[in-house]
Amino acid sequence: MMRIGRRAALLGTGVFAIGGRAFAQAMPVTFGALPPLTGAGGPYGPAMLRAIQAVVEEANAAGGIPTRQGGRPIRVVAEDDQTNPDAGVRSARKLIDVDRVSAVMGTWASAVTTAVAPLCWENRVPLFTVSGADSITQLPHQGYVFRTQPNSRLQVTTATDWLLAQGARRVFHLAAQSPFAQSSQEVMAEKLRAAGGSVTGFVIYERDKTAFRSEVDQLLRSRSDTVLLNGYLPDVTILLRELYRAGFDGRKLTFAYAANQRTFEALPNEVTNGLITFQPSPDMDSGAFRRLQSRFGGTEVDPYSAQTTDHAALAILAAAQAGDATGVAIRDHVRRITGGEGEKVDNVTDGLRAIVAGRAVNYEGASGPCDFDEKGDIRGTKFRFEVAEAGRFRLLQMI
Amino acid sequence: MDAYLAAMLVFAGLYALMALGLNLAWGLAGMVNLGLAGFVAVGAYGSALLTVRLGWPMPLGIAAGTLLAAVAGAGLALLVARLRGDYLAIVTLGFAEVIRLIASNETWLTNGTDGISGIPGPLRGAVTPQQFNLVLLGLVWGSVGLVFLLSARLSHSPFGRVLRALREDEEVAAVAGKPVLAFRVRAFALGTAICGLAGALYAHYNGYVAPDGFAPLLTIYIVLALTAGGGGSMRGAVAGAVLVIVLLEGTRFLAGAIPGLAPVQHAALREASVALALLLLLRWRQQGLIPERTLTKAAP
Repeated sequence: MMRIGRRAALLGTGVFAIGGRAFAQAMPVTFGALPPLTGAGGPYGPAMLRAIQAVVEEANAAGGIPTRQGGRPIRVVAEDDQTNPDAGVRSARKLIDVDRVSAVMGTWASAVTTAVAPLCWENRVPLFTVSGADSITQLPHQGYVFRTQPNSRLQVTTATDWLLAQGARRVFHLAAQSPFAQSSQEVMAEKLRAAGGSVTGFVIYERDKTAFRSEVDQLLRSRSDTVLLNGYLPDVTILLRELYRAGFDGRKLTFAYAANQRTFEALPNEVTNGLITFQPSPDMDSGAFRRLQSRFGGTEVDPYSAQTTDHAALAILAAAQAGDATGVAIRDHVRRITGGEGEKVDNVTDGLRAIVAGRAVNYEGASGPCDFDEKGDIRGTKFRFEVAEAGRFRLLQMI
Repeated sequence: MDAYLAAMLVFAGLYALMALGLNLAWGLAGMVNLGLAGFVAVGAYGSALLTVRLGWPMPLGIAAGTLLAAVAGAGLALLVARLRGDYLAIVTLGFAEVIRLIASNETWLTNGTDGISGIPGPLRGAVTPQQFNLVLLGLVWGSVGLVFLLSARLSHSPFGRVLRALREDEEVAAVAGKPVLAFRVRAFALGTAICGLAGALYAHYNGYVAPDGFAPLLTIYIVLALTAGGGGSMRGAVAGAVLVIVLLEGTRFLAGAIPGLAPVQHAALREASVALALLLLLRWRQQGLIPERTLTKAAP
């Protein structure tokens, strides 16, 4: 498979190479992928990695990263962060010190990202992440952190606005302990109060528990019209069952990562019916997302894979724009290929072609428009709300 | 590459410190301690909070973290005075989980699951990242050397002999007039103090602590280090810690050298091979790499 890739890459170079130098002689550029392949993030990491590799193969077929020395092929080195900050730091050390990567991408857990970020900025390597904790972009990262996941403040603000529009006034907040449980609560309480509603109760629970009777009892006592299930897949599955048993008939809203196909496999339809999920939406009508879907074949594309697709594409196009694949060059050029008036491109092949031809580009990715503010947070993401009906999700609204 | 090696040596040194701490209570006095990660967390959080929130100087923070872990260890040892073997294992494991849950939930103090970032490190920022690695390398291995010497002296002193007597048969020691509880509490607290020191150094090296970093996995690594190295033996504890890091990191490169495997398979193979290596070691060399020399005669 590798050989075909190189041949295709050689062909590509014939078209795009600057100065006509041979592609194979150029030094490869190395990217480090650091997704969770084992541990709590294990269900997501492999697909995230596959998405990165697919983009890199495509870029190599298109001639690699054009520099003054000719097109440089790209190599991906993957390490497992084990969803553990300690293991993540050791893996990141290896990527940065041994493999000399130009960028690290695909960190998932907020604790891992926070632990790895100082290593990245101290060694001048950009870090592309899907972690949601607000605190990450507030680190003194000197511009080296790019986050494609909207921060939790933005997510909860959007969800609360939507709930208010649906007529919700008394919302109960059930949250697993996480970096955003408290901040979610503050945002929601403020929003609801301003609209004449209230948070009727806020319970933080321990996610490893196997029963949540007392939490559900508190919810029932509060006579709420809506509950926000701010947890993860295993605990939200149990909560849904207990809510059904207890006869809760209000609105149930949860994050899309906490309820998916596996929820339907674990629970009967009458339990899941009416559950509303929301997520920062991959731009499903975009060419980038459709391409990712066809690459993944039959399997569902999760938001994280859509984001890592963009991580790889952003790093490649930024390096191409700079004509230089160092970490500093990538950091300095990401915003030049995303914002602005340039030609809209949704894949690396078109992007590289436009950059070689000297045209400005504006990359619009699989996860959204990929515009970053000065802190490295994503702007202008769309959200989609879906409702569970008879074992599948139906789109309610995109906002 | 040298920056990576230096960093891994720092990790090995931190693990060696923890293994030495575990060895004092478990190896010498026979008190099972599966709460190691909890004591490391006490030291790490103690020093991190005092230096970040209250602006204490680092050496003072590290000393306070060590002391806090010792106090926590003494307290727990008093609580579990009557427990032995499996029951002690369960309670100490529970203690570590309690510490982790407190760190996750007492947001006002510990910043919850977000963890504490921006912890100062010795000369961090004033020197290059690689020099910082070397500074920590010296500091950590210096501490390992010091703790090694002190605990070797301790082990060969009358105090150490009493601990070994407790390990072999408590009643005999009691009949010989030794205050069993006092010895147990002191041994346990000394061991947890060393774990706290390792935790404090870890916090200042990484610059970040979060509850996830003190999951039971850490305890398992250190218990493996001590069993592989040889329980009761100081040199064994250090060798075992280095071995665990070599296994954890070496498998990264070995698995990478096998062609035709996806990264997911590499990750799984890594974990499996670490387990296998330790299983084999325990099957063919139960006494550990460097076994304790003798039970009676104080050999250096």
